[in-house]
Amino acid sequence: MNANPLNYEIIDHTADLGIVVKGGKIKELFVNAANAMTDLMVKADISEKGIKRKLIVEGEDLPDLMVRWLSEILYLFSGEHILVSAMEIGSINPTRLHSILSVVSLEKSRHEILREIKGVTYHQIAVEETGDGWEARVIFDI
Amino acid sequence: MGVKIKQIDEWRYLIPKSGKMRVPGLVFSSAQLMPTIKEEQSLLQVVNVATLPGIVNYSLAMPDIHWGYGFPIGGVAAFRTEDGIVSPGGVGYDINCGVRLLTTALMASEIRPRIKDLVGALFKNIPTGVGSRGKIRLSTKEEKKVAVQGSSWAVKKGLGTNEDLARTEDQGVIRGADPETVSERAYKRGHDELGTLGSGNHFLEIQTVEEIYDHEIANVFNLFEGQLTVLIHSGSRGFGHQICDDFLKEMGTRVRESGFDLPDRQLACAYINSEIGQRYLSSMACAANYAWANRQIIMHWTRETFEKILEISPRELRMELLYDVCHNIAKIEKHAVDKKDITLCVHRKGATRSLPPGHPNVPEIYRTVGQPVLIPGDMGTHSYVMAGSQQAMVETFGSTCHGAGRVLSRKQAIKTARGRAINRELEDKGICVQSRGKTTLMEEMPEAYKDISLVVEAVHMAGLAKKVAKLRPLGVIKG
Repeated sequence: MNANPLNYEIIDHTADLGIVVKGGKIKELFVNAANAMTDLMVKADISEKGIKRKLIVEGEDLPDLMVRWLSEILYLFSGEHILVSAMEIGSINPTRLHSILSVVSLEKSRHEILREIKGVTYHQIAVEETGDGWEARVIFDI
Repeated sequence: MGVKIKQIDEWRYLIPKSGKMRVPGLVFSSAQLMPTIKEEQSLLQVVNVATLPGIVNYSLAMPDIHWGYGFPIGGVAAFRTEDGIVSPGGVGYDINCGVRLLTTALMASEIRPRIKDLVGALFKNIPTGVGSRGKIRLSTKEEKKVAVQGSSWAVKKGLGTNEDLARTEDQGVIRGADPETVSERAYKRGHDELGTLGSGNHFLEIQTVEEIYDHEIANVFNLFEGQLTVLIHSGSRGFGHQICDDFLKEMGTRVRESGFDLPDRQLACAYINSEIGQRYLSSMACAANYAWANRQIIMHWTRETFEKILEISPRELRMELLYDVCHNIAKIEKHAVDKKDITLCVHRKGATRSLPPGHPNVPEIYRTVGQPVLIPGDMGTHSYVMAGSQQAMVETFGSTCHGAGRVLSRKQAIKTARGRAINRELEDKGICVQSRGKTTLMEEMPEAYKDISLVVEAVHMAGLAKKVAKLRPLGVIKG
């Protein structure tokens, strides 16, 4: 599941960890951002088949929606010990997102934990359309 | 980042009031520390905090200031309770992240050959690392008791003594914690994490007292040269992270609805007097109490491990709690402002309380010399014990620094560490390390942090706390 490294870059932030992530379309951007966050936390096999699970997220605008979307996936990881192995976004607008996730149970024997993310922050959050697609900037609390 | 700053004296720098700032910024630093601070965005964060309603005197920064999210790390800000705000981002995700220092009757030189065994046993007995699940499983009903009672919950379960409570900031409990204000998600995350160290910069360290600066205070703190000590650095785990997350989102929505213009969305806040402000303070108290119980339990297992591995009795070991401080917290305190005592909500985000001699909140045994202030270094460098001062009451609402403060980003640290065996480098320096996370050692390498001696010197010289002793690491367990 580890994201194509070209999709995101780690940015310098002294205390914590930030990423700039790209996607051709907005749906792709949200999927890539979630994959990037997971990639920072765990090393796992991309081909794992999981159980389907529906996730609807609501926000006030795209940056808020991005923080809430990533926070939901982070909660599954830290609160329910569930790893999202794949996802599909059915529909998205600036205040609502429908997705179907493929989830597997987090097991230390198969999934190598790299680092803990405590939270997805709003600090300098940005979701913007660029000349060649979409770009988001997210800073995580480590 | 274009922040105007002018030096007032050798240890103080002023950011004059401009734009939407309600008060000026005051940064405690030094000529050696200032250049790296200027390179990043933390000074802009000092400015942003100065724009928040009800802020009193200054938006303050300690010498370990570095770029955080929302508030700078090393930031201190006090808000009037009647018209000021409370901000979850001004406390942080790891509510009541803090440290406790244990003293022993042993000399480090006697134990030196056993350090590796001790580190191995501690690593086995104290769950560490991401999502580490503890040996304790709590029902929600029991978790609510932890949230209300703090350290005393652990003591009632036989995991410590009443003496431990007397030597913990606020006796290991913030009053007014209402467990009904905490989300189901927080309880779910917290039910199996009590008694776990966590990861990132959290650690448990076996140390020795290398140098005493103030013999009189060191005597009162029961510290002596060559002594074996243990430092525990941990917080409220997923329970606290979730509470911060829940309130940031709720307050963020309310702020936008009210049309209040924040310079950074992470500064989401609410008036202290509002329903949500009170609810946050109550939930935050639950997380703070969870953190104190957590460190209390880790300490108990540390005592057990030492007794077992060294095959000595508690009486011979005499592993006593010197003190426990929190360094991510918002507290309702009374302080003198313009010669009047007023009630304030003091945010310490990566800052430690520093109470002077004679203060009623200093444990009786330390009251003549001031509150023990514990400043952890990173895993390869020294930690310091200091004593609280009157000057801190005058200038910083009784606060001082909390650690070294990062200087390299995690990205830079990994780049610097690439191709190197950090644990072997530490071993060469006489420090035995065991860690769980693969990237932790690289991200937390000694070079990633400022020189802690410069930070400690700056607060000592500014008078915000007094140097008492320097501790050198011998063994570390990390998440």
